[in-house]
Amino acid sequence: MTKLTRRSFLQQTPVSAATLSLLPAMPDLAAAPHSPRTVAPQLAATATGSMVIHVNDVATGEMTLLVGAREVVLRDPRLVARFVEAAR
Amino acid sequence: MSSHREAPEISKDPVADNTDVYAFVSPDNPNTVTLIANYIPLEGPAGGPNFFEFGDDVLYEIHIDNDGDGVDDITYQFRFQTTLQDPNTFLYNTGPIGSLTDPNWNKRQLYSLTRVKNGRETVLAEDLASPPCNIGPFSTPNYTALAAEAVHHLASGETVFAGQRAEGFYVDLGSVFDLVDLRPFQNLHINPLAAAPGVDGTNRLNVHTMAIQLPKSMLTRDGSNPTNPNDPRSVIGVYASASRRKARILGADADIDEAGPWVQVSRLGSPLFNEVMIPLGLKDVWNAEPPKEDKQFLNFVQHQEVPRRLVEYYPGVFPHLAAYSKPRADMVAIFLTGIPAGVISGFQNFTGQTLADLLRLNMAIAPTATPNILGILGGDLAGFPNGRRVFDDVFTIELRALAGVTIPLVDPSFTPDAAASVVTDGVAPSDIASPFLANFPYLGIPYSGFDNPS
Repeated sequence: MTKLTRRSFLQQTPVSAATLSLLPAMPDLAAAPHSPRTVAPQLAATATGSMVIHVNDVATGEMTLLVGAREVVLRDPRLVARFVEAAR
Repeated sequence: MSSHREAPEISKDPVADNTDVYAFVSPDNPNTVTLIANYIPLEGPAGGPNFFEFGDDVLYEIHIDNDGDGVDDITYQFRFQTTLQDPNTFLYNTGPIGSLTDPNWNKRQLYSLTRVKNGRETVLAEDLASPPCNIGPFSTPNYTALAAEAVHHLASGETVFAGQRAEGFYVDLGSVFDLVDLRPFQNLHINPLAAAPGVDGTNRLNVHTMAIQLPKSMLTRDGSNPTNPNDPRSVIGVYASASRRKARILGADADIDEAGPWVQVSRLGSPLFNEVMIPLGLKDVWNAEPPKEDKQFLNFVQHQEVPRRLVEYYPGVFPHLAAYSKPRADMVAIFLTGIPAGVISGFQNFTGQTLADLLRLNMAIAPTATPNILGILGGDLAGFPNGRRVFDDVFTIELRALAGVTIPLVDPSFTPDAAASVVTDGVAPSDIASPFLANFPYLGIPYSGFDNPS
């Protein structure tokens, strides 16, 4: 099973302009030094179109990535903490 | 209503609102079964310039369970795409529409049909044309011919149609929702008025229909041709659904982004199930669940609200029903498991112990030349709740069942009240202005906007 870091995930996955527009609000996001997170291995290879990230629970850092007709649940409290910080 | 606007959330999303499902052995082609799913309730025929249409962003499905586990073994998926021929006019059409390729017809819908069988997807056809809505004598001068063009015979064996039809579900909505003040019996109501004929509350309204006709052998679990009513392989369970993508982002310039898996927002097997059995607080949940999870709703099927309301609103009319406190096993059989063999002579549509709201059809029961709109209650084994034909009076059938006429099937100690076998809303197929058709797709020609309302 191929492991995918959040950084490579973002680099490899085509994202829509709408999603990319979030990035300027989070300038540190692309370079954030988080530990690797396991994501479904087929996600980066097949993702097309827009991607939506839904933070299910800020407290636990659980998120759902909606991409194509699929969803992937992952947990990254530090990344969610950055989202929260960016939203202040 | 059957399942029109039956739950809080879906009542705000009519394009995805599944209103009726039908499943019956085709009377004019009895080696086949016809499956129909209707959406978009209460279409006013004059609703232009953006006349009613299927949702391009909705996944419409008709599901068939043929092995009794409450899970679909065969699914037909309809996906629509709307095209504008001329974005610079506000008109749906700029002249008479003489064919499905007429350049005068501006806003069109095409669709694909996909069959999912045992997990394997097969696109059966693409760019199938839907007919336009019925506008009026100048815009759609020969609607019958237009609709006939939209009946597609596929090489895979299915015949398919998707487009506007006249509403076929008939019911006195005004009286039902006025505290079940059934006009023919309102002299017995707690607020009595003189008895009067029923009024069809859905008359001269349209719906959008998806219909498939296919050989019975394409529906059985093993490809056999069902001829023995006692054979479990003769029975299928049918339901329809509508799903939307999990996320929808509204962008600038009216752009819409969607992402994520399809999420079911509407479903329907038996008429009136979610409508009258499931309480308001759970209706949206019910719409989101698959039928195989219906065990969680068992209590509402065993202990129904309608019988209590009949007793309350018609004091002294239903004394036996008022005294009956056992769980309604007859309702469980009709709606959640099918009726086992031995209960009704020559009939069964039992699918096993899995509790699931499915429209169960015993395909080995041949259609009759003299159908009774009360179906099995009227001695006609080819009618509801053996599947459902377009003309079946499902409101009256269920009303009488709820009033107690079917309790003796499972509890011989019960004697139904005299009123239970005659209570009705007083509406019949003859009240429908656009009559049912003798052949596919069986629902009547949609009402035109020019003539309705009149």
